[in-house]
Amino acid sequence: MHILGVYNIKGGVGKTATAVNLAHLAATEGYRTLIWDLDPQAAATYYFRIKPKVKGSNKRLIKGKLDLDEVVKATDFENLDMLPADFSYRNMDLRLEEAKNPTKQLLKLLRPLSQAYDYVFLDCPPSISLVSENIFRAAEGLLLPLIPTTLSLRTYRQLLDFLEGHRITGLELMPFFSMVDRRKRMHLDVMKSLPDEHGELLKAQIPYASDVEKMGIHRMPVQAFAPKSVAASCYQALWLEMQRRLG
Amino acid sequence: MPLHPISYLLPDDFDLQQLKSSFKESHGLREEVPSKLKLTYYDSFDWRVWNAGGELHEEQGSLNRLCWHSIKGRKEPLVQVIDQSPGFVKDLPAGALADQLASVLEMRVLQPKVHVIQQQQTLALLDSEEKTVVRVVLEQNSYASIDGKQSGRLEGRIVLKPLKGYLSYFEKIVEYLKTMKLRNCGQSLYQDALQGAGIKPGDYSSKLNYRLDPYASADVTARQIMLDLLNTLEANVAGTKADLDSEFLHDLRVATRRTRSAMSQIKGVFDPQQLEPFKRGFGWIGQVTGPTRDLDVYLLKYDQYRASLPEALQGDLDPFYSYLLNHHKTEQAKLVKKLNSPHFRKLVKTWREWLEESRADQENAPNASKATAKLADKRISKLYARVLKDGLAIGPDSPAEMLHELRKDCKKLRYMMEFFQSLYPKPAIRELIKAVKVILDNLGEFQDLEVQAHSLEDFGSEMLKEGAPASALMAMGVLVGRLFERQANAREEFANLFAAFSSEGNQKAFRKLFGGA
Repeated sequence: MHILGVYNIKGGVGKTATAVNLAHLAATEGYRTLIWDLDPQAAATYYFRIKPKVKGSNKRLIKGKLDLDEVVKATDFENLDMLPADFSYRNMDLRLEEAKNPTKQLLKLLRPLSQAYDYVFLDCPPSISLVSENIFRAAEGLLLPLIPTTLSLRTYRQLLDFLEGHRITGLELMPFFSMVDRRKRMHLDVMKSLPDEHGELLKAQIPYASDVEKMGIHRMPVQAFAPKSVAASCYQALWLEMQRRLG
Repeated sequence: MPLHPISYLLPDDFDLQQLKSSFKESHGLREEVPSKLKLTYYDSFDWRVWNAGGELHEEQGSLNRLCWHSIKGRKEPLVQVIDQSPGFVKDLPAGALADQLASVLEMRVLQPKVHVIQQQQTLALLDSEEKTVVRVVLEQNSYASIDGKQSGRLEGRIVLKPLKGYLSYFEKIVEYLKTMKLRNCGQSLYQDALQGAGIKPGDYSSKLNYRLDPYASADVTARQIMLDLLNTLEANVAGTKADLDSEFLHDLRVATRRTRSAMSQIKGVFDPQQLEPFKRGFGWIGQVTGPTRDLDVYLLKYDQYRASLPEALQGDLDPFYSYLLNHHKTEQAKLVKKLNSPHFRKLVKTWREWLEESRADQENAPNASKATAKLADKRISKLYARVLKDGLAIGPDSPAEMLHELRKDCKKLRYMMEFFQSLYPKPAIRELIKAVKVILDNLGEFQDLEVQAHSLEDFGSEMLKEGAPASALMAMGVLVGRLFERQANAREEFANLFAAFSSEGNQKAFRKLFGGA
């Protein structure tokens, strides 16, 4: 089972769209896929028309009294299940604090699912917190959407420092450019200079596209309502490159 | 708790409109575009998927998908996108489905069994968020045999598909359909299609499973056993010639060996003079099929061989693989010629005629009219006594030949026990057959490893003549060493295994079942 986090310290960078579209592509190819919406804003849950409510929510979850399998919901797409978000996730950090081994709780919860799924995508809340540290320790790789601006680079470096400071190693980092607007000078400049400093950068890029925004109207992945769109083919390229990177 | 779809028969006069309107009243309803699917069901020649409680089909739609459904155990289906029709497991994309099939199929190739053409329409029942909560699929199905000669309509179906996490909706729909007086489908779509095409799943098995009459005269029983073995042999000829997978030839050879064993061990039921040419004939089949089978064995074992070498040498062994493939091609072509020869065809034909027609007289066949059970008891206890005597005579320094001889005796004993197993209480006979198998496996290992090691040496010198690199021979040298090591281990294990086999308790069990000394 491949566990992948989709993460950025900042919000509004195309994180949820990435998690939703990649999970959908994995499922379309026949992989048994689970997307876990850990963001209390519940955008991924909204895209799949699922009610953002988890029976018993994180209190029971962290106490180990809730089987993840009990709260999984099938999406409208074959092979694709979801663990919906719950508003109480905003307090997850507090719950984690109370648990033994607070940085490994998520991994412990996911382990029983390893027979049931080939891919698990974690849509992470935008922050650096105990929740994100749990994600870093549970995941095999992190997909990091970056808007090509100097500020994004700064937050990316903050993340690298955090990982180093907490001795989190063996995590496959996959930053890629997201919401790219080729009319913007700064985007072009940043995209030119960054690959030299960061060899881990993926080649696939997701443009700033209205089709991605329309996901909120259609409430489904891009591939499902605009399979021939540029955005859909960009996610397809990202999916292929991610698979290659994971080997 | 996985949920499973429920299928009902859809009568031709069923009022679909009424069903749709009532769904519209109770839920949102999205009628998806009707689609046409072609399903091809697969299994091995000997129905391994079916016997493992599975159904496997390839679905040809926008993506080709291979799906495994468990009939027993009610597990979640396994699905894998594929880009070519399935054959051997090793050619499937890695994943849970390939793992499942690997354990079931081993070396066998998948063959199409029947096609189903499905017109389906999905009614998605929605909640207030327009999220699908239950799928109701209306199906019109027809079947077609693989050769295209038979086809026909199957009964329509209405299939309720639950969605994980939306169980209560599903249960309500099930309750609602109960009021419609629909009948559950008694069998799966696959079973419907096979039935339509006149195919019985499990109609071929290489296992011996006779229902024998203990009081029937021994010659009638012997013919029944031999005719069945002949059916098995003939069923495997086409697959052997086409080299679909290695098991066709294997089963053909096993049927040959068992026939020869039956000829020699079910004594005094036929006229020996009449039997003689057939004994020679089956000996010849054993001979001409040997070289191809040997190469099959090496090819099947190749990955294991490679893995047993230190990593640095594994790549060096590859010329050996090419050598095996080349020679296999040559031997296979020779084998096909032999199986197409008038000699083989005539042999099989006259053997069948002889089994069906000829009757021996009392003078040449003193046991012909004896009761089957009596003769079986006698032969089996005699063979067992021989195995016991020869086995106990083997010490740590006995020559290998003694073990090889013992193996032959054990084989005869095992075949006889298997031929006649239906005459004895099931658990007891199974237990004893298993005990013989344990010894046979050990003796087989001991002999096969020796044969393999010597063959590898011969292959090596031939490869040298054919210009193989020295590194390949070095790797093979290491491999030969490994095989001899394993052989020595098998020899060491023998003493303990035979001690268990010849224990007082086991001897009692044999005597109890077969009488005798």
